[in-house]
Amino acid sequence: MSVNVRDIMKKDIIVAQRNMPVSEALDLMKTHKIRHLPIVNKQNEILGIVSDRDLRDAAPSIFDEKHKEFINLPVSKVMIENVITALPLDFVEESANTMTENQISCLPVEEDGVLAGIITETDLLHTLVRLTGAAMPTSRLEIEVPNESGQLSEVSNIIKDHQINIQSVLVYQSFSDNTKKILVFRVQCMDMRPLLKSLKEANYKIIWPTELEMKP
Amino acid sequence: MSQEAAYIFSPEQLQYKFHNEHPFNQHRLSITNDLLMKLGALSPETILPARKATIDELLLIHDEDYVQAVIGAAEGQSRSSYRTTFGIGTEDTPVFPHMHDAAAWLVGGTLAAVDYVFDNGYKHALNLGGGLHHGFRGKASGFCIYNDSSIAIEYIRKKYDARVLYVDTDAHHGDGVQWAFYNDPDVCTLSFHESGRFLFPGTGHVNERGHGDGYGYSFNIPFEAFTEDESWLVAYKAAMREVTEYFKPDIILTQNGADAHYYDPLTHLCGTINIFHEIPKLAHELAHEFCDGKWIAVGGGGYDIWRVVPRAWSLIWLEMSEQKEALKQSIPKVWLDNWQEEAPVQLPPEWYDPKGLYPMIPRKKEIEKKNERTLLKALKPIYDHQKKVKS
Ligand SMILES: [Zn+2]
Ligand SMILES: [Zn+2]
Repeated sequence: MSVNVRDIMKKDIIVAQRNMPVSEALDLMKTHKIRHLPIVNKQNEILGIVSDRDLRDAAPSIFDEKHKEFINLPVSKVMIENVITALPLDFVEESANTMTENQISCLPVEEDGVLAGIITETDLLHTLVRLTGAAMPTSRLEIEVPNESGQLSEVSNIIKDHQINIQSVLVYQSFSDNTKKILVFRVQCMDMRPLLKSLKEANYKIIWPTELEMKP
Repeated sequence: MSQEAAYIFSPEQLQYKFHNEHPFNQHRLSITNDLLMKLGALSPETILPARKATIDELLLIHDEDYVQAVIGAAEGQSRSSYRTTFGIGTEDTPVFPHMHDAAAWLVGGTLAAVDYVFDNGYKHALNLGGGLHHGFRGKASGFCIYNDSSIAIEYIRKKYDARVLYVDTDAHHGDGVQWAFYNDPDVCTLSFHESGRFLFPGTGHVNERGHGDGYGYSFNIPFEAFTEDESWLVAYKAAMREVTEYFKPDIILTQNGADAHYYDPLTHLCGTINIFHEIPKLAHELAHEFCDGKWIAVGGGGYDIWRVVPRAWSLIWLEMSEQKEALKQSIPKVWLDNWQEEAPVQLPPEWYDPKGLYPMIPRKKEIEKKNERTLLKALKPIYDHQKKVKS
């Protein structure tokens, strides 16, 4: 798996300048439904970052007279400096590690010293889920084939004839019989019976789905 | 009969029909209605109508371009994007005339159930035409076009601000509903299903616990293939009670797919009709204990429409409307006579299945052990929480 941060980062980023009051920063995050706001200078260099949660945690209660004082502070007074960043060519799993280790849920992406994008935990999760095909509803199909060339493409053709999408394929040598190979597909369909019928008619040995003996 | 329960059905719901050979067959609604009527547990006058969900209601969950594609496909338009992007026109979910209307009537039935419970003084409501739990925001999947439960839950959240526990006992993972509320701490999803390693849609792993604010509000109990009644029920009873006590919902919505039965042609679990006696019983009990009785039940999968679905779904209504004395009699002969000719299999004469329905399961002990571990893993956050509270 080698997807780069560049491939999944968000490029149109909402940012704030250092003198923006805390109240405005909170509004800005609310309007754009974001949790993190990078603070940059005119050259778009990253100075710091604030999160809605940090700000809300730090804010004195509304009934406290210090509340007003707090929300009028410039964000530069409350932002986190020394921001941990990612680089565009970092691998996605490296960034995932960085976030976990530092217990942060967002990484600004820096290119040539300036802010180029941002990735969040949610983006990462979606990417990982997409890479493993887990979010795609699929069924497991396992077939034993002779250890000869062309078998994978023949089976794939039968699946294609049913207009069924193949999400992933795994091919391995049978553990019990070295003249055989096992093909494991994840196919995008719920009722595999028409496909199984075609495969049986083509004399393929289906390992999964299997049925209990005598199942009516 | 209890006046607390609403039975919802409209003939328009029967139009959700892909083609004659398709396993999803709403003919089962007619067969079930008839069984309840022959039992004397339901009469045409007491059936409350469903309604057709409006476009705005569908958009509570679904994307506009998806709904437009469904309407377009129903009107006979055809674009290659329908299949690839929207999942309509596949072998699982083929296009059929009026598919938008029919799907919107199934959704409307579940929305009507919500209104009967929140506005019209009913404690419980049943829409067997609903339960299409695989529908995604922007994509049809696994025979499901619009996801009535997701829409109804969002409708409950918006209109009544109630916290919803969604319980899914269909043999397939309730993926559409889970992902729709994965980030939402006010909706808790609990799904019991055959493990994704073996069965569509492949998800529903114990580790899928929610995300962001919703972390900890998604529970999954994936069973091994060939799991039997006893092991299934141990997990159901424990998880149902623990999760309900933990989440303290304002209302429980149960999805009652009837495809965890051994006879079901699409799945590999070995349940008997026993579990369908127990499922609604506990849901009913917990609804009264925690939610002032608020309980909505919908249908779902169920592909043995003769031997399994009519009994399983009648049992929900008998439980909900407190008419279980009807179970003292056998299945009414008039019902058997009415349908036996049409049925390709022998109809069941009793409310329970005979012993020895299926052969011995070779890996029985191992399966039970594995399910036990899965249950513990799934409930671990709750047990940890209880320990913390105690100390
Ligand atoms: Zn199902
Ligand atoms: Zn009741």
